Amino acid sequence: MKGIPTVLITVSPEVSAQMRPPRALYPKGFKVGNSLGRPGMRELQKQVLRDALELLTDDTRPGSIKTIEYPEYGEQYEPPRVKKLSG
Amino acid sequence: MTISRKCVPFTPFERELSKSTLAIVTAGGVHLKDQEPFNIADELGDLTYREILPDVDSSRLMVTHHHYDHTDADQDINVVFPIDVLRDLEAEGFIGGIAKKHIGYMGYTMQLKAMYEGTAREIANDIDKTSRADAVVLTGG
Repeated sequence: MKGIPTVLITVSPEVSAQMRPPRALYPKGFKVGNSLGRPGMRELQKQVLRDALELLTDDTRPGSIKTIEYPEYGEQYEPPRVKKLSG
Repeated sequence: MTISRKCVPFTPFERELSKSTLAIVTAGGVHLKDQEPFNIADELGDLTYREILPDVDSSRLMVTHHHYDHTDADQDINVVFPIDVLRDLEAEGFIGGIAKKHIGYMGYTMQLKAMYEGTAREIANDIDKTSRADAVVLTGG
């Protein structure tokens, strides 16, 4: 298997960074459950997906997560933090 | 084969987006309403996944996942599984096409080793062999 190029859209950048994704987009301030934006906001959803897909053709550094702001999203949320787990 | 670091492998992308076929793989617990829901009663999580075909009517999709608030996805599945968005990008020529298979699984598990060495590989093989995807968009909740 030669492998498949991937790009991740994450709303939990700190958690996702632990897996060192080859390409990842964090739409800043989007809450968990809103990876592409809010319901019905198709233009915003399209822009987020275009931005994510364009990372496929960029020179990305695995583990780095690109943050982009989308003011049209509205109210912003704090992303989840990494929890320290035992075991 | 042993894996010393649990990192996502880097695979180069050497195509043009406008000529490429895309698949979606989501950990957001997405599946068809007539597919078996993920087992949220099992505290260990559910290691299975569901196949979603490219011509799916997005109103036939739903979420079974108890570790994030999917109220918004219940209204518009595209917020976690952007199949209609992908169709729009295909229509405008931004991408070349939509893959023959997409995947939903429940990205919550206490069985990390089984997920990483079992389910994740099965999904990757399935996508590699049957979806004809040139690249994959991954989403969580």
